[in-house]
Amino acid sequence: MPIQLSQEVVSLINDKGAFKALATVDESGTPNVVQNDSIYVAENGNIHYLELLETSRTNHNLVRAIWFDRKVSIVVSGADQKSFQIKGKAIEVHITGPLYEKHYVEIRQRLGDVDLSGVWVIQPEEVIDENFTNRKNEEETKRPFFRHLDRLAKV
Amino acid sequence: MSLALKQTYERELSFDEVVAKYPEVPRLIIVKIDVQRRGVHYTDTALSVVDPKIHLVRDTGTRELFGGRAQEKKSLPISLLLRDGTSVITSPTPLEQNPYLVDLVNGRLALVDNDEVIEYVELWRRPRYYDLKTSSGIPMSHVLSARPQRLSLTLSNYCHFWTKNQGCLYCDSNRDSKQLKKEIGIPRVKPQDISETVREALKEPGRFSTFCITSGSILAGNELFDKEVDTYIEALQAIGENFKTKKFPSQMVATAFNEKQLQRLYDETGIMSYTSDLEVLNEERFSWICPGKAENVGYQGWKQRVIRALDIFGRGNVSSGFVGGVELAKPYGFIREDEALRSTLEEAESLAESGVPAFFVVWVPRAGSPFHDQQSPSLDYFVQLASGLHQLRVKYGLTVDFDDYRRCGNHPDTDLSRLL
Ligand code: SF4
Repeated sequence: MPIQLSQEVVSLINDKGAFKALATVDESGTPNVVQNDSIYVAENGNIHYLELLETSRTNHNLVRAIWFDRKVSIVVSGADQKSFQIKGKAIEVHITGPLYEKHYVEIRQRLGDVDLSGVWVIQPEEVIDENFTNRKNEEETKRPFFRHLDRLAKV
Repeated sequence: MSLALKQTYERELSFDEVVAKYPEVPRLIIVKIDVQRRGVHYTDTALSVVDPKIHLVRDTGTRELFGGRAQEKKSLPISLLLRDGTSVITSPTPLEQNPYLVDLVNGRLALVDNDEVIEYVELWRRPRYYDLKTSSGIPMSHVLSARPQRLSLTLSNYCHFWTKNQGCLYCDSNRDSKQLKKEIGIPRVKPQDISETVREALKEPGRFSTFCITSGSILAGNELFDKEVDTYIEALQAIGENFKTKKFPSQMVATAFNEKQLQRLYDETGIMSYTSDLEVLNEERFSWICPGKAENVGYQGWKQRVIRALDIFGRGNVSSGFVGGVELAKPYGFIREDEALRSTLEEAESLAESGVPAFFVVWVPRAGSPFHDQQSPSLDYFVQLASGLHQLRVKYGLTVDFDDYRRCGNHPDTDLSRLL
């Protein structure tokens, strides 16, 4: 089910300095992860990913994702150990039209003589807070057995 | 066989049944095939959001080689785009022929069948150069037509095979070229008109990724088709003036030329790929359905010319198209779909072995063609055909970059090959 991203996640994804990566899977289920700066949240809350290469593994996997209903995953990390993973669905790709043209012009201004294969639209379905401290606290609270005893020993 | 049994045997699988039967074929491509096969009808509500200033609508002045299934003169949208970037090139179809509806649902255009939304769609957009005229006063939209990512030039929509009444039986290319000229006075475009139009088209960033040039066959010349070759060279040189590289992504869909003619085309122009359509992948049916091609070049001659084009254009840059389904036309076509499929894929494999990928367009009986009252085969047939052709490309390591989902958009099998 589609979800609305929180303002905190939106700001982090749209932060130019944040680390972003997109994970997809191929035909046999093998994962493929790429780091990519061209991931944004659009006004309607969907995530846009700019794919520059028609033949990249990611592009092929996104085509498979839209054809065969496979999920994709994005990780974004910023300052203060902030990190989120967003799982979602590739629902559309713009290969022409106003949105495509806008990004085609912008990416060429930014990177020089590059091409743009498409603007993929990813609809978020789940957000996981990947901040390590938060995750550790959560696990230790909810699953208290998952700790080694020596960590609890009197020193 | 009892009548009841015969009817059960012949019952076509529904869209949902075909989707369930071929889980390895994307549903979106099956949607495309079925919409091409059955055509579309735009509801009045859908038409209320069509804006000819933004969208590409049918214009009697635009040069297209072929017509449609209905003799429709209204300004209707040219075609549709699916959400995966797949184009659906389809024609308006009378309601009594059971087309898909294009309707407005929740403020968006959608393909609707039996009151169910099948997919939301977008309309093709009008390029900016369509608003301009060449220095000789011709609307640029009458010089080059546009697809979502392709510029197309149809040099002449009169095919000389019709002069001796030997045009292909599914074809309506001669339907109204004379009438068109009379009604709207389209003059012959000159190289300068072409060059100026290309220059304007290229000003729109990211709008076009290829150029396709085609024409009806021209038999005249010292050698058969020399005149057609000259016409292409003249036009391609005018196009080429606008590029900084000698070669530019482009496709010529033309008659089967001899090696001398192909060499001239390759050496004297920027053309990068060559397609020459065998139309029917079966010699006997070809001779019946394409009498002009059969008499002037012959099936084997045509096939050999296409294969020899590889020596000039190189592997990956030569192909042959056919009209999928016309091999089942009555009365001399295959009777059974399974026989037609086996035979067509065998012949496609023989081309693939030589390095030539074959691809198809969905046969839609055109209103102005001798086959106007025939019926297309089943959806199941076309899905197997698309899948079979794609598998041949996988098997023989063949690509069709110059004629894929983006650079053409009219072949369900090359849509599948965007993963190659
Ligand atoms: S060669 Fe056949 S299909 Fe092509 S334009 Fe001529 S008659 Fe039509």
